[in-house]
Amino acid sequence: MSDAQQPSDFDATTAVDEFEPVDVFPSSEDMDLRPGADNCYKCTSCDTSCPVAEVNEDFPGPKFQGPEQWRLKRHEDVDIDDSIMSCSNCMRCDDACPSSVPLSQMHNTARGEYVEEHLDTFSMEYIRNRMLSNYRTMASIGSKVPRLANFVMGLGITSTLGEKIMGIPSERDVPEFATETFRQWWKKRGGSTVSNPDKQVAYFHGCYSNYNTVEVGKAMVRVFEEFGYEVLVPKQQCSGTPMFANGMLKDARREAEVNVRELGEAIDNGAEVIASCTSCSMALRQEYPELFDIDGVEELSEHTWEALEFLRVHEDIGQAINESEVDPQAFAYHAPCHARNQGLDRQAVELFRDLDGVTIEDVGDSCSGISGTYGWKSEKYETSMKIGAEMFDHMEHAEGDVGMTECPTCAMQMNHGTGYEIRHPLELLEEALV
Amino acid sequence: MAIREDVIVIGGGLAGSMAALETADGDASVRLITHKKSTLRHASGLIDVLGYLDEAEPVADPFAALSELPDDHPYSIAGEAAIRDGLARFDAAVGDTYHGAHTDSNALLPTFGGAVKPTARYPDAAAAGLASDSRDMLVVGFEELTEYNAGMLADHLDAADVPFDVDGVELNFPGEYANDSRVTRFAKRLDINEDVDHDGHTMGARQALADAVNPHLGDAERVGFPAFLGDDNAADVRADLERELGVAVFEIPMGPPSFPGMRLADQLKDALDDAGVHISAGNPVIDYEADGDEIEAVIVDSKGREVPYHAEEFILATGGLVGKGIDSDRDGTVEEPIFDCHIPHSDDRYDWFDEEAFGNQPFAHFGVRIDEGMRPLTADGEPEFANLRAAGGIVGGTDPVAEKSQSGISLTTAAAAGQRARERTAKREVSQ
Amino acid sequence: MSSQPHVLVIGGGSTGCGIARDLAMRGLDVTLVEQGNLTHGTTGRMHGLLHSGGRYAVADQASAKECMIENRILRDIASHCVEETGGLFVKRPEDSEEYFQKKLEGCKECDIPVEVLSGEEARKEEPYLAKDVEKAIRVPDGAVDPFRLCVANAASAEEHGARIETHAPVVDVLKEGDEVVGVEVEHKSGPGKRVHREPGTREEIRADYVVNATGAWAGQIGEMAGLEQEIEVRPGKGVMTIMNTRQVDTVINRCKPKGDADIVVPHETTCILGTTDVEVDDPEDYPEEQWEVDLMIDTLKELVPIIEEARTIRSFWGVRPLYEPPGTGTSDSTDITRDFFLLDHSERDGVENFTSIVGGKFTTYRMMGEDISDHVCEQLGVDAECRTDEVPLPGSDDFSVLRDYMDEFGIRSPIGRRSAQRLGSRTDEVLDVDGPNPVVCECEAVTRAEVQDGIDGSGSDLNAVRLRTRASMGNCQGAFCCHRMASELYDEYDEETAYDAWDELYQERWKGERHAMWGRQLSQAALKYSLHGTTMNRDKDAATTDTVISDFTAFDTGVGASPSDGTAGTAATDGGRRGGD
Repeated sequence: MSDAQQPSDFDATTAVDEFEPVDVFPSSEDMDLRPGADNCYKCTSCDTSCPVAEVNEDFPGPKFQGPEQWRLKRHEDVDIDDSIMSCSNCMRCDDACPSSVPLSQMHNTARGEYVEEHLDTFSMEYIRNRMLSNYRTMASIGSKVPRLANFVMGLGITSTLGEKIMGIPSERDVPEFATETFRQWWKKRGGSTVSNPDKQVAYFHGCYSNYNTVEVGKAMVRVFEEFGYEVLVPKQQCSGTPMFANGMLKDARREAEVNVRELGEAIDNGAEVIASCTSCSMALRQEYPELFDIDGVEELSEHTWEALEFLRVHEDIGQAINESEVDPQAFAYHAPCHARNQGLDRQAVELFRDLDGVTIEDVGDSCSGISGTYGWKSEKYETSMKIGAEMFDHMEHAEGDVGMTECPTCAMQMNHGTGYEIRHPLELLEEALV
Repeated sequence: MAIREDVIVIGGGLAGSMAALETADGDASVRLITHKKSTLRHASGLIDVLGYLDEAEPVADPFAALSELPDDHPYSIAGEAAIRDGLARFDAAVGDTYHGAHTDSNALLPTFGGAVKPTARYPDAAAAGLASDSRDMLVVGFEELTEYNAGMLADHLDAADVPFDVDGVELNFPGEYANDSRVTRFAKRLDINEDVDHDGHTMGARQALADAVNPHLGDAERVGFPAFLGDDNAADVRADLERELGVAVFEIPMGPPSFPGMRLADQLKDALDDAGVHISAGNPVIDYEADGDEIEAVIVDSKGREVPYHAEEFILATGGLVGKGIDSDRDGTVEEPIFDCHIPHSDDRYDWFDEEAFGNQPFAHFGVRIDEGMRPLTADGEPEFANLRAAGGIVGGTDPVAEKSQSGISLTTAAAAGQRARERTAKREVSQ
Repeated sequence: MSSQPHVLVIGGGSTGCGIARDLAMRGLDVTLVEQGNLTHGTTGRMHGLLHSGGRYAVADQASAKECMIENRILRDIASHCVEETGGLFVKRPEDSEEYFQKKLEGCKECDIPVEVLSGEEARKEEPYLAKDVEKAIRVPDGAVDPFRLCVANAASAEEHGARIETHAPVVDVLKEGDEVVGVEVEHKSGPGKRVHREPGTREEIRADYVVNATGAWAGQIGEMAGLEQEIEVRPGKGVMTIMNTRQVDTVINRCKPKGDADIVVPHETTCILGTTDVEVDDPEDYPEEQWEVDLMIDTLKELVPIIEEARTIRSFWGVRPLYEPPGTGTSDSTDITRDFFLLDHSERDGVENFTSIVGGKFTTYRMMGEDISDHVCEQLGVDAECRTDEVPLPGSDDFSVLRDYMDEFGIRSPIGRRSAQRLGSRTDEVLDVDGPNPVVCECEAVTRAEVQDGIDGSGSDLNAVRLRTRASMGNCQGAFCCHRMASELYDEYDEETAYDAWDELYQERWKGERHAMWGRQLSQAALKYSLHGTTMNRDKDAATTDTVISDFTAFDTGVGASPSDGTAGTAATDGGRRGGD
């Protein structure tokens, strides 16, 4: 089962071993994406949607990173331009391309190749990226001793050292660990309080909802149980999102194999998979089938839903919202880039507009800038804040003084830039309906 | 619950957005389903109604020319009133950020290709560049950008006998740039008025740019720039430049990436929001469900999963060959992929093109044929469906590139389709 | 002027350029005249294969052996023009095992190094090969860029004092009695590099010897020289279909006796599918037919299935200048030998100082050049050795593509790499520029510096610039760079010249692109049409087309604009106003 069930097996040295650089990656011969360049008709829509290209002089943009660079490649050419590491994997280029060029697939693959060929596995950059990618492992350590971990991470000296040694910007506050993880709460609670084999959902909570923002997980459970669903919480690992963005495809695959297997079992029993983090649902639905040929990966993709999306399609949530009310509150909503790609960027705003007591405003279609681990790298910090500047500005001008978003790292960025408290739509749903 | 609206518009480009605005003007609930970003972003941001009837010369008054169009031209089918309605709705949506509504006449604008083109609506940013305006002009180009050479452009305008003196100068954009800096970098710099080093001093980019241009002004009363004068703060950028230079400033519309096109797309998005149109962006419509000749729902491919969206009326605005609303194949098929609407074409693909690059290109005519209600017709001339209408690039029957009428056709068919859709849903509600 | 004998070479294809280089290196005074751009003829319209000889190893072993020898030499002296892709002869289940063995033996007999691979091994190297390819013979085929090679040969000739004139068609062969004494050319502009609109002149060029290396036009030159016995060249057309990307990085041959559609050649950023063989009457005017394009795709998808759905960007045709000695009487032109023939007209026709060279193939151009140079020197009593097999061509001196392009030139590594692959040892001299060096052709990664270098060598002829740099040869087929290339011509050339050149390039791109008008390339062409038609209005450009704007005042003069000549802004001049304002 999950890590939460192996607490007594935990050993600090095991964790360190997991960061041993891997010698030989499988050759990426089968990842020849030059045919993907066939779709491109050079309209540059991707470039004008790229938040990094807009603020970063050194970043040429998705059109070059993707179809152009791939098309110029001969089989033996190994030099990928190092600017591929400046791509934040926000995937807005995918969303923009009228010709369906597989841009983020091309970028992820090029990045994987770059890391394999060019990044010195003993460099601090590599080690730091590997650490950030394997957040789940780090979090599982920290959550054993949450108060101590929070105390240590909150110390000035920690952030200074973090910056100096690892290149993690001291400006940012490390998210606090919850004193009780979601899985611990779930176990203590005794699992589902509803029993209904015909209405089952398997919750993919993701790392943050488990270790940090547990209230989101709890809200999910309560809201779905309110609609009569039996919630399952299968064994699961990281969705791999931070790993794609850092070119650590082997790590990602390792996690994916577990997820596909465990969630696949739930799907076989009739459950649908629900994710509350839009990057998790994005990974399961798009990046998994694009990058891995694991048995069952297509099925998982087809049966994965974002939480609100599922309720909109399967329940009369519009009606339920209409009939509810909450204390007056105003929200500034930011649609995460990965939500945009799933066609979900409007759902929260359209839904909560009809909730009595709520004022909700969309703060525009800019990227938050943090892009997962991107904004957690010192050399990218400034870029990430420049990208987010527009969003911070809109948030401050919006009526709301509480932010709302589905993505945990966007939430961190929103909070970092404005000081607002940030809530997940599921939390508001819980307040309204439960 | 199943997603249900009164009207669903498929495609979020110019035609789709305007059709949605048209239908939303009333009590109907409207949802716009759009897959990717609109092709407006490639286009120059100008609204062409009718530029040419033939090769002789540009049309001065498109409305006066309508009677000379063939009966099967989309304008003839939709009628003059629909053209005017479409323009009116556009004018309302963009407010005073666009000009040209004060007259029926076309305007002549210089393009970044150096030629002058007729158009009916042009953004405020381009207004000072009209070719019928006889103020002397300076065209500015930049070595960092490859889209045009200012001297060459100026000489070419001269060669067309424009009624003003025109000069061109190539400068370096103030600041330091990577060799492959895109237009977006310069636009952003001006937008946020980033500090740059110019001539040994640090100053805002707008000031620096004006300083670089000033020495070359001469007698010019207006200065033309590439279309990169800001994005969100375009008006401020121009105002600052005009103040610093003391003359009018305008943008020369360019091809992709096109800031005027992107700004227009953003404006239309805001208009849709204000009008309460629901928007589902990011996933394609791939199929439909019908009961006889009434479409009941369209099917959206939501990352591998099929989700039905129900409505009473449907408007297809998916674009033509560029917007990906029309597919073609080596075996001679040309088809509309969602509803399989009939698109007249030869089975022999060698009949699709002319030998001359700017000859009469049959492929430019590809599209559905429509009835007065904007409904796509089968090969026998019957409506494909009772409640399906078409607007924009998906509509064929003429060469909108050669005659400079693409955006006008979009506005017109959108207005007509939207009005009909709105009327029919109102009738249905009444009769319930 | 030198006291060395002056040799005039007619024809700027691989043969002519090879001869010019060889003779110039031997110290002779050489002039080369070519009717169009270098490689205007067959050389510019071939599939870019540097033969190992494998294709001739069964039926024409003499040719095969020559190919292998020259293959090695060219890889040495023309390294920046050659990509060492290797080649495979693949066997499908329905192909004859007997022939496979014959091919294998034949290669060995011709000293062509071979290796047999299983289908699986072949697919490891080329994953897009059809799953049912059973096995393959690996041979040292290569891919060559014929333009680059000819340009380099011509540059080398110039370095040794030769004069190269392009766009200078021969209009007459000058004779005095039975002696050929030179030619008369009609320069399209100049003499010198071609500049649009610059008037051309006629020039008589006197020479001690004239070499006719005009390939498919050999007969026409022969007629001008008054030869009684025609030089009967039998032109055979063949289609080349260009794929947008490289589906394979190795030359893929079908292991079958010769036939249509049996080769896929990786070429720069694309793959070339070839070819057909149909005899035509006129090398300048023959039908470009749909069935040929379809045949390429439908047949070669049996070797590389992904080709069926892959995007093609254009197709073009070339004409093989096939020759066989009179009396051979081969009926099927596909059976005519690929061997070359040296026709000394003194022996054959009683016309002195004149030799034609016909037939042959690209891979052995240098050897052909050596043969005819030897012959010419013998006729002229010049004793000089051929060194064209030893001395690297300009650009092929030692160079590496592995450099820090961002550091050295401020350009991204893939762009630098592609530039270096084209420029070879001239990379530094070309890319080291002052001022901004933006990319002009994004599809092919061609920077301004390289385009300017191309213009230096080509005059205002953007097609020549295209051949040198590959600008406008990518997936957009010039949609986004025709105008950028034209802008690069200004200031050195004036606006009229720049627009003429632009229009010529645009039409030339369309000529080949229209054979790819379906699917994604049709969508691309529609976007190109919108950009150049709707946005730029080049199709009704008042300065270059028949369209005129007779009255600017009949149009909107603006709201609140104050035109300085006093004709009012909006009141009196508009042709009709709404609502009776």
